[in-house]
Amino acid sequence: MIKVIGIGQTMRGDDAAGIRAVQYWQAAYPKSSQQPNVQVLIEELPGLALLDMLVGASFVVIADAVRSNVDPGTIHHLEITDLATFKPGLSSAHGWGMAETLALIGILGLSNMPEQISLVGIEAGDLNMGLTLSPPVTESLAQAAALIESLVTGVLATKVNGN
Amino acid sequence: MRQNIEVDALARVEGEGALYIRLKDGEINDIQVNIYEPPRFFEGFLQGRYYQEVPDITARICGICPVAYQMSSVQALEAALNITISPEVRALRRLLYCAEYIESHALHIYMLQAPDLLGHDSALSLAKVAPDVVRQALRLKKIGNSLLRVVGGRSVHPVNTCVGGFYKWPNKDELHNLVPELEWALEASKQTVDFAAALDYPDFSMDYEFVALTRDDEYAIYDGEVLSSTGLQVTATGYDSAYLETHVQHSNALHSHTKAGSSYFVGPLARLNLNYSQLRPAARQAAEKAGITLPMRNPFKNLLARAIELVEVCDLAIELAGNYLPVGPSHAEIKIRAGEGAGVSEAPRGLLYHHYIVDDQGMIRHAKITPPTAQNFAQMEADLWQYAPQVIDLPHEEATLACEHLIRSYDPCISCATHFLKLTIER
Repeated sequence: MIKVIGIGQTMRGDDAAGIRAVQYWQAAYPKSSQQPNVQVLIEELPGLALLDMLVGASFVVIADAVRSNVDPGTIHHLEITDLATFKPGLSSAHGWGMAETLALIGILGLSNMPEQISLVGIEAGDLNMGLTLSPPVTESLAQAAALIESLVTGVLATKVNGN
Repeated sequence: MRQNIEVDALARVEGEGALYIRLKDGEINDIQVNIYEPPRFFEGFLQGRYYQEVPDITARICGICPVAYQMSSVQALEAALNITISPEVRALRRLLYCAEYIESHALHIYMLQAPDLLGHDSALSLAKVAPDVVRQALRLKKIGNSLLRVVGGRSVHPVNTCVGGFYKWPNKDELHNLVPELEWALEASKQTVDFAAALDYPDFSMDYEFVALTRDDEYAIYDGEVLSSTGLQVTATGYDSAYLETHVQHSNALHSHTKAGSSYFVGPLARLNLNYSQLRPAARQAAEKAGITLPMRNPFKNLLARAIELVEVCDLAIELAGNYLPVGPSHAEIKIRAGEGAGVSEAPRGLLYHHYIVDDQGMIRHAKITPPTAQNFAQMEADLWQYAPQVIDLPHEEATLACEHLIRSYDPCISCATHFLKLTIER
């Protein structure tokens, strides 16, 4: 099972970039997004429940807004092992973010976790209240969706049996 | 040298706020728990909505305690519309509340406050040295969320609650199947009390006025009358004239005071001190084993009270889930009429009051919501006036952490109260 997960707060401007990127991919690439062994999950603020969302998948793509002080709309492709060095941008206002949650997998030795977790990060600009994305982030969605597509089709191609 | 304490974004609290402790000539001159999370206007946009939309809208105030918002709102509206719920509905609502307590308390005990008491800056560093503790926390929280899903229809922001009862009865087998997990949770909760009792709490106490719901026949969570440690006891309807809200300039959350103008304390410590004798035997035994003496007046020991409550709700949930047998309609028939009603319940972090006026078409004309954290803000600041002088001469980072820990011990839910939290000490 492949899971494609979009997270972020849709009311906080560019924080919704991950969710919008997954939705863009679903619309633009129906052939792969509608495969029976591909599951799409949209969750605004999963917190620790993100761990439960990963259970049972062999490969996961997570799309989320990030901040690393580069130009808004820049697309980052990260593997879970990159997260430790990507710290401040991925934390939420609560002092606990996706990086911390994913780090628990290794620290706690959690079972039934994916073999691979890839992250598609979209550099956020404006995080103020509002339902719209800033122009540079809106323009970057096609590129983010193309990256999701290449990750998913890459895995689909290697899994002939569709597991 | 003494310095101001400034925490612009408090971590490990729900929502966004700041703490500022400012000194003048070396003495503490000003203390502000500053809530800059924008006001959310829930009371405003409930006006003109149909009464049956209220529990689903108010549930959205909080992702941690949506059940509390549903339980206080449905009780207020049932009072306004003169609806009596069945004993089966009441039992199921208590079970739904247990689910929320399990996930909220497990999160706060282990992930939010324990790192402070164990000298860790986050649950992540705690997980590295005590993985079993964090694994236990995650499993407990998951059990709470599973129970929420089965009874409430969704693990966060449940959708099954309605004015009059539930939209539909949960599946009996699904609920009974959760009992073994709840039995594990009960044992884990007892271990949590042992864990909490062995922690080294900062030495600090205040002569609080505690306020919590109370009932003669059970440890009040879902409903009851509002009891103060001064002896004052009022019904839900009487709450509004006994406890008043005022605006303070530095905060987007209102501050609550008693009618006499004093701050008061709501939350686990208040409930435990006022209602200890109504605890079920399992929780009482766990408390006795922990060697607690009442009244407990150390706010940091909210964690210990939470652990004892975890035993209470797991034990109760086993009984309610095991005995669950849906009979009759899942909700009462409702005849719309104009009316006014108040409802109170105990959110995990303290008393939650709702008040509504409904017109003869069933539309909301007035809504008032007083969340627990707003009631505690004045008390948090009063605590800091006593606590900050004790810690201000510590190294700056340590002093800042100590003050942040005090705020965190209240498990403040700032999103609910705003109607974001930061900490600053200026010297």
